[in-house]
Amino acid sequence: MSTAPSAAPAAPPRTAEAVLEAVDIVRVFGAVVAVGGIDLALSEGSFLTIFGPNGAGKTSLLRVLAGGLRPTRGEVRIRGKKLDFGDGEWRRRIGVLSHQGFLYGHLTVEENLRFYGTLFGLTDLSERVPMRLEEVGLADRAAFEVRQLSHGMRQRVALARALLHDPDVVLLDEPYTGLDPYAAAVLRNVLVALKDGRRTVVMVTHNLTEGLNLADRVAIQVAGRIAWEGTRSELVVDSFERFYHRVVEEAP
Amino acid sequence: MSEYLGQVRAIVWKDLILEFRTRERVAAMGAFAVLAAVLFNYAIDRTAVRPQTIASGLIWMTIVFGGLLGIGRTFHLEHEDGALQGVLMTSAPKDAIFLGKTLANFLLLYLVAIIVVAVFTLFFGLDLGPRLDLLAAVIALGALGFVALGTLFSAVSSGTRMGETLLPILVFPLLLPMVVYGTQATGRILAARPAAEVTANLRMLTAFALVAMATGAGLFRYVVEE
Repeated sequence: MSTAPSAAPAAPPRTAEAVLEAVDIVRVFGAVVAVGGIDLALSEGSFLTIFGPNGAGKTSLLRVLAGGLRPTRGEVRIRGKKLDFGDGEWRRRIGVLSHQGFLYGHLTVEENLRFYGTLFGLTDLSERVPMRLEEVGLADRAAFEVRQLSHGMRQRVALARALLHDPDVVLLDEPYTGLDPYAAAVLRNVLVALKDGRRTVVMVTHNLTEGLNLADRVAIQVAGRIAWEGTRSELVVDSFERFYHRVVEEAP
Repeated sequence: MSEYLGQVRAIVWKDLILEFRTRERVAAMGAFAVLAAVLFNYAIDRTAVRPQTIASGLIWMTIVFGGLLGIGRTFHLEHEDGALQGVLMTSAPKDAIFLGKTLANFLLLYLVAIIVVAVFTLFFGLDLGPRLDLLAAVIALGALGFVALGTLFSAVSSGTRMGETLLPILVFPLLLPMVVYGTQATGRILAARPAAEVTANLRMLTAFALVAMATGAGLFRYVVEE
């Protein structure tokens, strides 16, 4: 960055063609405010990385965006349509990779993907499952039970599961946690391929380098609020860590 | 509709495969049933009571206690690696998920009920007679209502610290119709009474199963939603 960006929170750009919108999202757990009023608007093809310290409410925000957690206040819209957080076709538009894999350890890799594919109503699983496994470099592990795989391999299976139904919106929660360099490279390649202009991605991560390299928009969440938001072009990798710490320390 | 049935079938298939590979629940339920029958056999003073006259009550209590051992663990594997959360975030309707899990539990419990009846028949010298089909229907209807309520309340209790203690407290009072009508019907079948005497009990068990299924399917979404 040639000049350091302001650490003051920036209003998200609101566009009529936003694919994913969060409007004044608040989520409270008992007396704890995990998400304290967040607005987001993401257009088709954008890749938002959210950084933030532990306990900032990033995972809670992602779960709300994924429809897995009902907000205490506010609403989420996908292509302008408000989510009712019940059952519905809108769930097919969202793919979620959590730090938990959502996988059954006693099912094989292929059985897990076929199971989730059937729940999403997919009918071409014979072609789709091998294709996804090929993408994450696990075609030769299809018959292995998930519990027999390393953490990195499980994470790649989880990624294949999250993308199996070809979602428009992809939500990634700490995808790099615990990955060895090879698994991280495979993940990076798959995430780069997601930047095809038609998918909208939100990634939560502590990995500043990976998060910056993939993003075209960046947000820093502190204590349940977005403390800074801007475009990737406003930032440079070398000085981002200092900037990040400044935003975290100065946040109210 | 075919997609809905496919989703139900996928849940049933997954639960049965997991049970086949882990043998977590059927082994516990089956072992309990056999041991309970053996203990009941020695606990009865055969000079004071005829085992055949009290067998129906003992069969149903063994099914209930043994069944809860397994049904209480319905969501155990679902919580590993957050799988339940993943399933709930798919486009499968919550009632399809409930129906799938209930049917899988029903198949497992029915298998255990067959073991229970076989073991009691052996130890208590029961004559199942020509009305085996009627007995099968009575047990099927009772078991269906039982697993519907058990699956629903297992979802309630699985997320709590006192889950395994909480489940029987929640479920037992609701199982009263099943125990009353199931025991009556089974007793009459074992006593070789006319089939017409069992018809009213069968109707009540059918109503119990339908109400339990409808209640479970309707409430499941509220139980699993955070």
